[in-house]
Amino acid sequence: MSTSPAAPGDHAGRLGGERSGPSLPDLMAGATFVAFGLAFAIGGSQYDVGTALRMGSGYVPIALGGLLTFLGLVIVVASFRGVDPTVANADRGPIPWQRMGLLVGAIMFFGFTVGGLGLGPSLLVTTFLAALAGHGTRPGRAAVIAIGLTALCLGVFVFALQLRLPILGDWLGG
Amino acid sequence: MPRRMRTPVTSLAVLAVLSLAACGGGDADPAAFPEEDITFVVPFSAGGPTDTVTRLIAEPMSEELGQQIIVQNVEGAGGTVAAGQVAGEDGDGYQVLMHHIGMSTAPALYPDLEYSPLEDFKTIGLVTDVPMTIVARDDFEPETLEDLVTYVGDNADTVTLANAGIGAASQLCGLLFEEAVGVDLTEVPYDGTGPALTDLVGGQVDFMCDQTTNTTGQILSGDIKGYAVTTPEPVEALPDLPTTADAGLPELEVGVWHGLYVPADTPDEIVEKLTAALQVALTDQNVIDQMADLGTTPVTEDEATPDAHTAKLEEQIDLWTPIIEDAGVSGE
Amino acid sequence: MDGILLGLEVALQPSNILICLLGVTLGTAVGVLPGIGPTATVALLLPITFSFDPVASLIMLAGIYYGAQYGGSTTAILLNLPGESSAVVTALDGHQMAKQGRAGPALATAALGSFFAGTVATVLVALFAPPLASAALKFGPADYFSIVVLGLLASIALASGSAVKALAMIVLGLLLGTIGQDGFTGVPRFTFGVREMYGGLDFVSLAVGLFGLAEIIRNLEHRINPSLVTKKVEGLWLTKEDFRRIRMPVLRGTTMGSLLGVLPGGGHVLASFTSYSLEKRISKNPEQFGRGAIEGVAAPESANNAAAQTSFIPLLTLGLPAHPVMALLVGAFIIQGIQPGPDVIETEPELFWGLIASFWIGNLLLVMLNLPLIGLWVRMLSVPYSVLFPAIIAFASIGCYSLGLNSWDVFAVAAAGLLGYFLIRWGCEAAPLLLGFVLGPLLEENLRRAMIISRGDPSVFVTRPISATLLALALIIVVAALLPSVRQKREVVFSGEDD
Repeated sequence: MSTSPAAPGDHAGRLGGERSGPSLPDLMAGATFVAFGLAFAIGGSQYDVGTALRMGSGYVPIALGGLLTFLGLVIVVASFRGVDPTVANADRGPIPWQRMGLLVGAIMFFGFTVGGLGLGPSLLVTTFLAALAGHGTRPGRAAVIAIGLTALCLGVFVFALQLRLPILGDWLGG
Repeated sequence: MPRRMRTPVTSLAVLAVLSLAACGGGDADPAAFPEEDITFVVPFSAGGPTDTVTRLIAEPMSEELGQQIIVQNVEGAGGTVAAGQVAGEDGDGYQVLMHHIGMSTAPALYPDLEYSPLEDFKTIGLVTDVPMTIVARDDFEPETLEDLVTYVGDNADTVTLANAGIGAASQLCGLLFEEAVGVDLTEVPYDGTGPALTDLVGGQVDFMCDQTTNTTGQILSGDIKGYAVTTPEPVEALPDLPTTADAGLPELEVGVWHGLYVPADTPDEIVEKLTAALQVALTDQNVIDQMADLGTTPVTEDEATPDAHTAKLEEQIDLWTPIIEDAGVSGE
Repeated sequence: MDGILLGLEVALQPSNILICLLGVTLGTAVGVLPGIGPTATVALLLPITFSFDPVASLIMLAGIYYGAQYGGSTTAILLNLPGESSAVVTALDGHQMAKQGRAGPALATAALGSFFAGTVATVLVALFAPPLASAALKFGPADYFSIVVLGLLASIALASGSAVKALAMIVLGLLLGTIGQDGFTGVPRFTFGVREMYGGLDFVSLAVGLFGLAEIIRNLEHRINPSLVTKKVEGLWLTKEDFRRIRMPVLRGTTMGSLLGVLPGGGHVLASFTSYSLEKRISKNPEQFGRGAIEGVAAPESANNAAAQTSFIPLLTLGLPAHPVMALLVGAFIIQGIQPGPDVIETEPELFWGLIASFWIGNLLLVMLNLPLIGLWVRMLSVPYSVLFPAIIAFASIGCYSLGLNSWDVFAVAAAGLLGYFLIRWGCEAAPLLLGFVLGPLLEENLRRAMIISRGDPSVFVTRPISATLLALALIIVVAALLPSVRQKREVVFSGEDD
């Protein structure tokens, strides 16, 4: 496993010490499964359930959604009994909210604009945002990384692989 | 990683057979068309029958037009994603849609379609009409189409009819069969023709209807049993199979017809150029030979015209809409 | 044997060797790009092959396919970015090895395991293709359902943590697999009216998000810019000990992959992870799996390559494509004026045997090409992480977008990355989810199909001998997992290995 030091006092595995209260990761994992299970089961009940002979579109999602909800509840209950050793031992720092936001924003920006702006401009912004997420990467360096990567990607995908992706999109009158 | 890509990428670039894509060009002069690469959008996966037909005609059309033709596969939702994409393009002739019978069934299958097959496109011409075959597992009891009709009538509860999924040609042909015979059978859908034929060869399902492009090899080898072809004329590659009309089921006439489309605002001058190139391509000996191997033929020159194509499209929309609605099949 | 000799004669023509080499090189070069899996690679490069004669073009395509698979494994090992389902399993231990400075041995193991498996499977294809194909046809929908159930239960072993969480991740994967248009009724499920979603979530988007993006976010948790490799690079080649450790896993992986690959209904997807699960189950040190066990690279890579080879059997003997890449090959056959089908062996012996021989030659070239490249790949890891991760983001975004020109595939990367990051942080591993996702449609379709064919009688699952055997095996796995003694041992194993 990684040997980088974890931030002191922020051990992801526990909430408020060794024995007081539920294991937070287990509780959250269980709750996530319950949420997904219910969402699929309820969403699935909009569709025809059908019969065992001709199962409708809702049959399998409802059954699996129910199963996932059950498993999620089992995990929630278990979380009150102690910490899952595999999680508690994990060496984790705090959640990097800002950097995560930059990365997700970079990818979403690409999805929204690649059609309109075209590959070149869209990628330039995406790589710039992504590069900013690096530790100690200042805007100047991020811009250099962005320009280099954009040139490289255009070379690989547009020139070498001949993908039919316009370099400049309609929004820019290309 | 990127830095290490140099050598292989260079060789790729050297090898690349297609020239660089240029973008846009909405205000070009129709008389000068074509001045750059043309894209043929295929709504199904590379390697499928529609893709194959497109690539076959793209080569001679490209020679005739003096520009590269790039085939792009845009899959999804029975071809409606590709059609929707081309409908929204500039009418400059550089984005051409190849679509098959699914163009006429989409309005019934997808009630909230964002485009209209008739109003949002201009037709270039028909390309080919691929015959379909009615085939069964090799130990299925009926020996002829007549036997089959009687047999499914008597055993409607137990006979299974396979198809390649919602909106697939095989499903449409199956629906038409059920309507012609007047039975309601148990349909077993598959995700594509390959898996459906696999289970037919393996004897897991009883019979199905599919294009000659998919079934000719297995019929000739005896792995499956062929009853009839669904066209007015017999198919050269399958001399032993009667037509449905000769075998006593004239109502069952269906082919997977293919045609080319451009957005509705395309100037007529460009449409004429594309039609002319299509007509030349359809007389190319290589195209004729390869289509014959697929069990089909190019359409005649009269049919490779916008008028014949539009007439076919209108007729087919009228035919399929009630059948699909009666069967309660819906993509929405 | 005459056939093989004829095949070698065809495939060993200098021009064909060259073409095979070209295919392998191109396939590898494109396959290593993050976000571009083997199917996409073959689809992208397919048009290039149209300009050659039939034998040459198919040899080139086969080369591209193997090259793409190997390139995909390389990306999985180095960057934790699997491009297809089999590479997910390779990434589990392969990437851990890379982090520990053992990327060289991991890549070498993948190459050697693949080569061995490819050689054995080629002989199998040459000798037993027709009988294997007809045996595989005995598998009906009920049998596929049962084998998928067995595979899913076995895949709990992919996770090194809690079995309940692994099961929940599988079920979540199955549910995500139901998104898209229902092939039985045409109803679009969970698509929120977006027609681009009718085809369902894209596997590559999900894999890139859950593995690649989640891992990047995780690496950014620490204040210091991490280098990908945490320990000194120890050497590029396998040690004697490594060779001893991979011998049996390679053999078992090859056997399992060869058998599963023949099944036309998707057996090849099961190959890599069932062999991984098997190795973990019989290993004396199961706790090493997921933490850089070389067996965890050797077995699935061998199984995958063997399955890739034998999955040509249904195509060559029956003309039936077993998966999307095969369907592309059928298209290539047709473009070349060859009707793929049972007659190909008789009507086109040069093509049939030439293709089979070139499978083997392709594998050989792949090893020769890639072993010297290992040093190069490993050095790639020394690119500063602050440059490497934006590059991954860029390549992955373009890769996911380019195949369908569909922005939703890009959004799916971001969503999957967030989901993966949090779930992994909470002790749930991503691999079982991806497997559930891949197998979900197979499970549901075959269940529904089997019930339609049996006219609603669920007893088919136990009256058909194949299905009954598979379900009995599944039951044994469940019982074994639930036996208290086994469970206790499992807990001891996991709590007893703090760093």
